[in-house]
Amino acid sequence: MSKNLLFHFRPRRVPESALRLTLTWGLGGMAALMVTQQLISGLLLGFFYTPLPVKAYESIQHIQHSVFLGQLVRNMHHWTGHALVVVVFLHLLRVFLHGAFYPPRHRNWLVGLSLGVLILMANFSGYLLPWDQLSYWAVTIATSMLGYIPFIGISLQEMMQGGQEIGTATLQLFYFIHTSLVPVSLFLLMAYHFWFVRRAGGILLPANEQAANAAKQKSVTVVPDLLVREMAFAAVVTCVLLLFSMVVNAPLGDMANPELTPANVKAPWYFVGAQELLLHVHPLFAVCVLPLSMAIFLIFLPFSKSKAGKPGALLKTLFIAGTGSLLLLTITGIWFRGAGMKLVWPW
Amino acid sequence: MVKKAFSPARRNVLSRIWIGLGIAALLQMLAGAAFFFISGRKQVEQHTPQLLQAGVATDFPPGSVTLIGKGHLYLARLDNGGFLAISRKCTHLGCAVPWIAERKQFECPCHASIFDITGNVLKAQAPRALDLFPISFQQDMVMIDISSPIKRSTYTAEQLVFLQERR
Ligand code: FES
Repeated sequence: MSKNLLFHFRPRRVPESALRLTLTWGLGGMAALMVTQQLISGLLLGFFYTPLPVKAYESIQHIQHSVFLGQLVRNMHHWTGHALVVVVFLHLLRVFLHGAFYPPRHRNWLVGLSLGVLILMANFSGYLLPWDQLSYWAVTIATSMLGYIPFIGISLQEMMQGGQEIGTATLQLFYFIHTSLVPVSLFLLMAYHFWFVRRAGGILLPANEQAANAAKQKSVTVVPDLLVREMAFAAVVTCVLLLFSMVVNAPLGDMANPELTPANVKAPWYFVGAQELLLHVHPLFAVCVLPLSMAIFLIFLPFSKSKAGKPGALLKTLFIAGTGSLLLLTITGIWFRGAGMKLVWPW
Repeated sequence: MVKKAFSPARRNVLSRIWIGLGIAALLQMLAGAAFFFISGRKQVEQHTPQLLQAGVATDFPPGSVTLIGKGHLYLARLDNGGFLAISRKCTHLGCAVPWIAERKQFECPCHASIFDITGNVLKAQAPRALDLFPISFQQDMVMIDISSPIKRSTYTAEQLVFLQERR
């Protein structure tokens, strides 16, 4: 029975060439693994976390100082959460470049985009929970950016904050999103995402290998050939995350103080691009027109014309130019902006 | 001859009805959820005036800026004696702006916006002047309604509140 269920997600045999690591860089599987890890470390943290202002900060301190391995678990949860955003972004990049979003995979691309949004939501809602100066003001800035959306912006901002400013209501809302809404939707959609891959006939192979496969029918069994590779890969990823978390502690600033903004506060790093843009162009453009056109581009991508199964030159240029400039803005915002948003040299 | 239970055409109609019903049910559920959400929000949002006693009017000398209460706002008194209750929240991205007494201006630590004593923008990033709170007087006591900040684009003289006027 359980075996039957599993085979809805995994086939019995896969083409041998599908095993090659450089085909996908294992990014999708890595993301799934990391989501699972987040669930586990999150459950552990949930035992000691209190979603109330002041208490929240104290509970984090308690976790770090008096809970056995508490600091490590928090570090894991923190760093994996950030790494997840990067991995999911790279996964999107990979799928785009391989043209793996064209029918019959078009619907799965949309599911994937929703998953990406959920991952961002997960990270952003988790950002506030430590209730330190860093998280308080980063979330203040990020939610204030919403206020620049015409007509609905202010109410949207108040809805997100659960009031005029960030307080108990915001923390409870974010806690609910972080610990209920996001995990449940994430796991449901993830199951769908994997099942869709299976239904579309496995991962997309390059065209020339597809032909070769059809001719030779060279395939290997999933157990053990694929499974062993996946396990080894998962072990390596876990080790890297664990080692990093052992060496680098998750930051925890002073307790949130609504009366005092520290110098040099920034939005969470994945929104720093938008924040940076806000300094240069009209707000309407930075927080509304641009993100919206990005979303429309991504949503309608699978319905564009393909060139031999890959995105055409125009699409590719647009996509790469877009990601390139976003990356540039983000990097500038993160490392080259000092106090008062003056341009600084980080070294 | 065995007759099929439903002809393909009929089957089509039936399945369409099912889909239609499904969509109707979904819409109903969404509408229900939306109402659930909105009605719950209103209660939280209802603004009842929340009056804060700022202090006796004569304690604030002309040309001064005082941090009031738990630090949500400033009470500014201009040289002509008029009062303004100025929000501490930067109109750019919401940071708390400190009053820098030596330079007599508000300076935002986040993106270096600068505001003058009336809350007007002196240096940009911030798109509009700092928000105001309504002021009233009970005898000589300055009362500030902190439940409803007033958005404004710039400072105008009408925004000033004077003690004598209210007597
Ligand atoms: S928040 Fe004050 S200048 Fe940006």
